[in-house]
Amino acid sequence: MMGIYIFIFFAYLFGPLIIMSITAFNSAEFPSITPWECFSFRWFNEGKIAYDGQHLAGLLSDWRLHDGIISSLIIGAGVVTLSVPIGMAAAIVLTQVRSQLRDIYYSISIMPVLFPGVIIGISTVVLWDRIAGLGGEGFIADIGRNGIFLTILAQTCFISTYCFLIFVARLQRFDQTQEEAALDLGASQTQVFFKILVPYLSPAIASAAVIAFLFSFENYNTTVFSILSDQTLTTVIASKVRLGISPALSALALTIIALTIIAAVTYEVLRRRAEKRYAESQEKFVKEKAADNRINKKYKAGFKIPKGITAILLIVVFATYGATQIVKNDLYGQSCIDAADKEKKSKFLEQLQTLESNELTDEELSGGSLGGNQDYGDIFGDPSLFQDFGGFD
Amino acid sequence: MSADVELSDVSVTFGSFYAAKNVNVKVNGGEFFSFLGPSGCGKTTLLRAISGFQEPSEGKVLIDNKDMSGIGPNKRPTALIFQNLALFPLMSVSENIAFSLEVRGVSKEERKKRADELLELIALEGQGDKKVHQLSGGQKQRVAIARALAVEPKVLLLDEPLSALDLKLRQRMRTELREIQKRVNITFIYITHDQGEALTMSDRIAVMNEGELEQIGKCDEVYNNPLTPFVATFVGENNPLYGKVTGIEGDKAKIETADGQYLATMNESKKLNIGDESIAFVRPESLFIPRDGDNFDNKIDVNIESFEFEGNLKNFYASLKSGAKIKFSVPNAIDTSSITSGSSIVLGFESSKSVILPKASLAID
Repeated sequence: MMGIYIFIFFAYLFGPLIIMSITAFNSAEFPSITPWECFSFRWFNEGKIAYDGQHLAGLLSDWRLHDGIISSLIIGAGVVTLSVPIGMAAAIVLTQVRSQLRDIYYSISIMPVLFPGVIIGISTVVLWDRIAGLGGEGFIADIGRNGIFLTILAQTCFISTYCFLIFVARLQRFDQTQEEAALDLGASQTQVFFKILVPYLSPAIASAAVIAFLFSFENYNTTVFSILSDQTLTTVIASKVRLGISPALSALALTIIALTIIAAVTYEVLRRRAEKRYAESQEKFVKEKAADNRINKKYKAGFKIPKGITAILLIVVFATYGATQIVKNDLYGQSCIDAADKEKKSKFLEQLQTLESNELTDEELSGGSLGGNQDYGDIFGDPSLFQDFGGFD
Repeated sequence: MSADVELSDVSVTFGSFYAAKNVNVKVNGGEFFSFLGPSGCGKTTLLRAISGFQEPSEGKVLIDNKDMSGIGPNKRPTALIFQNLALFPLMSVSENIAFSLEVRGVSKEERKKRADELLELIALEGQGDKKVHQLSGGQKQRVAIARALAVEPKVLLLDEPLSALDLKLRQRMRTELREIQKRVNITFIYITHDQGEALTMSDRIAVMNEGELEQIGKCDEVYNNPLTPFVATFVGENNPLYGKVTGIEGDKAKIETADGQYLATMNESKKLNIGDESIAFVRPESLFIPRDGDNFDNKIDVNIESFEFEGNLKNFYASLKSGAKIKFSVPNAIDTSSITSGSSIVLGFESSKSVILPKASLAID
């Protein structure tokens, strides 16, 4: 029963991601699993060259995506360098505040998390627009209307609060007598900070930096306002989705997922190794102390089947089945793609011919007996109506 | 290298609460001095005032006859050993010990040399590369002492550093602390609520209660001639006998209680007059079961209630006619098989071993 529940839960969590990842390998122009066109890596490379060179671009050739990723990285770095020190300073202040003020200070500090990101974005733009307007032309005016600068500021507003919470959690377990001991031994306040507090907080600094970067990288609702005329990864993706989803986005998603998994696995491996080293040093210490042969006896661990074996087997079975199907039906490679394109083109020609054969009369075009457009004052017949609009992109 | 420490009229207030009130003490250079008192009596506050973490609200702290007001803890010639030791968990033992040298910019070789010297002093040679968590309780204790001694402070302050150790280790550390103090010959100021610790290690002790000093003196002086009922009952155990003074003979006073008249010694500075409400104190070990030929100044009829075996001593709990309780101890070597619960016996004690003081509140354990 428990197993079923866990399966449903994980299916709910990871199902969409798995489906999306599979669509990245389908050569069709729209992300889909059925109908399966051809197995291909083209959405990771050039994509399908379309009339404007961008419309169906793959991951490698999409310069808008590249620009977005670069500005996202710049913004992420900026947010990390600002929000980690701000969060740390705020958390340290919390430990120094008297008890009556503590609650008020804490509430104010975490408030930015509760604000809608949209409001933070808009208010940042409004404020800096005023500031930029004060000084005429010059440095202030430039940075006040610089999307990347504003986005760093706007995101730092609430991301520093997450950092603050991480530092508060770590500082709660800090033994303040250590600071006193260092002071008593002659250290200055600065030395206490760098030699006692910072080493103690270093795990929190690392996790705050990672979390700040991830929050910044994936943020949309604040960024979409504060970025002004620039583009980050999230705003590029959003604007692409408006024009219709491309499998290149699936390819991007799969790449990000893969990077995340690699990072997580690397971290876990390193952590386990450090843990093992620590356990060994402890064991050595105990042995030294005890000098008792009974402890020194080694027990060989028997081979154990890992618990995740069913999940791994299931994935292997599905992957093998999919691969054999693709190979059997010759659904891979350039030849398959060419064939599919050809078929689509011929279908398109067929449809065009059908349309031509069903040409409408003038009466039908003007609405026929039902009146049609004329009932609304013939607005679609007015050629000057969309004169200023400039047409569709 | 030791220094006098003088507290002159020191008061520390938190709002309207006096943590310490008009404390006057002079600790001599090279002395092992203890502040003894129940928890919350203000002894830690005094220690923080000496080390510089707490500025006195009134009065002055003088170290080596220099006024310390406005001088921070990192600029005073004192080193503090914290109750929880406050060793730095991320540093090795050597780094811990040499921390005070590191912050003073001493070179790495010099630091290593000094750390090795100190490791030898605390009998932990060759263990400098260990992490703090790899040490046992007693070893941590010694590392904390070495760390405090690294800069050669003139005064070492110890805030109940032994309270977290088990009994055996505590007893061993007492001797070790005393030995280290003799070797380095600096002033030790020790804070404890454990009278056993204070009495065994100190040259002099100061007993504190509710922020005020009750008595300062040599250990045996404080034990034998307590100045107040609080000291009498806090330092060691004491049986109080409440009554009124009915007669005075030289330095002795006669006290009339509900259970009879007793003769007890008055303290020179606490003279009593006839009719004063007072308490006579007699220690459990000063109450004897008279043998043939013994002639005690005072006799007391008791009814044995219960008995407990402590090892070297046997403790008897008894009641007097009026219902007052009394405790007396007999060395294990003496045969007491005839004394059982419910039996009535007569105890005797010498007036020279009993003190009489004006009535005041006792220490409540």
